[in-house]
Amino acid sequence: MDDYVLQTNQLSKKYQDNMALDKVNVSIKQGQIYGFIGQNGAGKSTLIRLICGLAKPTTGKIELFGKSNEHNLIQARKRIGTIIEGPALYPNMTAAENLEAHRLLKGIPGEDCIEKTLTLVGLDDTGKKKAKNFSLGMKQRLGIAIALLGDPEFLILDEPINGLDPMGVVEIRGLLKKLNQEYGITILISSHILSELHLLATHYGIIHNGKLIEQMSLKELNDKCQQYLHIKVNDPNKAATIIENHFNTKDFEVMPNGSIKLFDFVDVPGEVSQTLTNQQLVIKEFMPMGEDLETYFSKRIGGASNG
Amino acid sequence: MGNLIKSEWFKLTRDRSFRVLTGLLIAVAILFPLLEFDGGDLGLPPVKDYYLNNVLSVHADIVKLIPSILAGFFITSEYSIGTMKSIASSGNSRLRIYFAKLTIFSVGAIVISLILPIFMTGASAVYFGFNDMPEWAFYFQTVGLIALYGAAFASIMAIFATLFSDSGKTIGFLLLLFLMVDWPLQVLAAKVPFFEPIISHSVFVLIYDIVNVSKLENNDVVMMVVIPVLTYLAAGVIGSLIFQRKEIK
Repeated sequence: MDDYVLQTNQLSKKYQDNMALDKVNVSIKQGQIYGFIGQNGAGKSTLIRLICGLAKPTTGKIELFGKSNEHNLIQARKRIGTIIEGPALYPNMTAAENLEAHRLLKGIPGEDCIEKTLTLVGLDDTGKKKAKNFSLGMKQRLGIAIALLGDPEFLILDEPINGLDPMGVVEIRGLLKKLNQEYGITILISSHILSELHLLATHYGIIHNGKLIEQMSLKELNDKCQQYLHIKVNDPNKAATIIENHFNTKDFEVMPNGSIKLFDFVDVPGEVSQTLTNQQLVIKEFMPMGEDLETYFSKRIGGASNG
Repeated sequence: MGNLIKSEWFKLTRDRSFRVLTGLLIAVAILFPLLEFDGGDLGLPPVKDYYLNNVLSVHADIVKLIPSILAGFFITSEYSIGTMKSIASSGNSRLRIYFAKLTIFSVGAIVISLILPIFMTGASAVYFGFNDMPEWAFYFQTVGLIALYGAAFASIMAIFATLFSDSGKTIGFLLLLFLMVDWPLQVLAAKVPFFEPIISHSVFVLIYDIVNVSKLENNDVVMMVVIPVLTYLAAGVIGSLIFQRKEIK
């Protein structure tokens, strides 16, 4: 129970007739990188805004670091760093001045953290350049630097890689992985770029029309999305033996219905089918299967929309 | 609260609008008295007359209008550029955030309000000579009252700067409000007897009595001090209630 950084219980937010968030139960444990997936208007930003205290929930409860009453929640927010709907910067200040304003705001003693944080995000050489003259990537990195001030235990990043060029995306991904793995920072990240999220997140939450329709770990997602060859033959046991001996792999499963899921050699299906045919097996079904996160997401929200 | 105040002070000292407004007012304060050298046969006025007729004649407009511009840039822009989101999620209560902002904005408004009385008087003394200076008691009374009314109006401005999320709207609205408010208040006071004592004892009316402070009875002087303090507190409470309920976008 204690290692939950964030838990929401039946959290709802209603704007006039629009249910922006509908009884959402999100759980994020310490050390996770939680990828939050949803279309525009699905409720991602609303949830993040409720967690950060920018809006009040209509019903339900937020528990941050085990604290849930109003006063304790405010205190708990001292332990988080945020980027909400883009980096919040003072355009006429330099990178160091932006950090200084936030350092004073958070009551962090000593100015050495500014240089350290700027170095960490690669902005230590920006000198007197004002934030308004930064590239989008630099602005995003400065936003992350501000979020990192005060060594937060939990980073909440709403679309932190929006508008970045491919190199910028790789840099931010590397930085976030480093923060998670080396500093143990828990991260909640929402992004439209699902392929990127797939390379980063350890856990996922899919939100659609204000409802959290699924939460899962990366392993669970991979199990659901993993590419494999679906093989159905007249003699599955013989096929399993052939696959094991000929291809020297155990990365397959014989399913109760007699079909085989071969997770290896996915990229050479012709070679696999030829081998099985050569061994006098009759192939009834043979096709590559599996999905990436994007396909899985589309299928899930399609299902949710239809259902 | 201390950290919030420090952060707001840091931002005010780097606020471009604050720097421009103070710079312009200082330039006006230093240059404007030079026009008196073009006065022909009348000669140069005594500093005490210049203070009364030129400095104090515009103080009400300075107190009400110039800080309105600062309100738009210093308060409302926090919403439009998104920085209020990181302030509100920084682990400080909304009440403290609001009063820290209001405190430093009031300091900014007081600084702006006092530039003419201090710099213009100083410059005119240098230009016209140090004879016939205003009486120190009168001078400090007026300067003190201008500071108090500057803070009271700042507190009212902060309410509207919190309501709006766009700097331009805040500035436009506040300038219009303070330019136009005197006339409807006069009409209201004349037409509805119930409002007359309230309006005639409001900062909107009393600010024009600063220039007459030396002629007022003691009771009236006390009221001149108490009303802006109460206005500051009441507007502060109203503004903080609005801010606590405001959804930050």
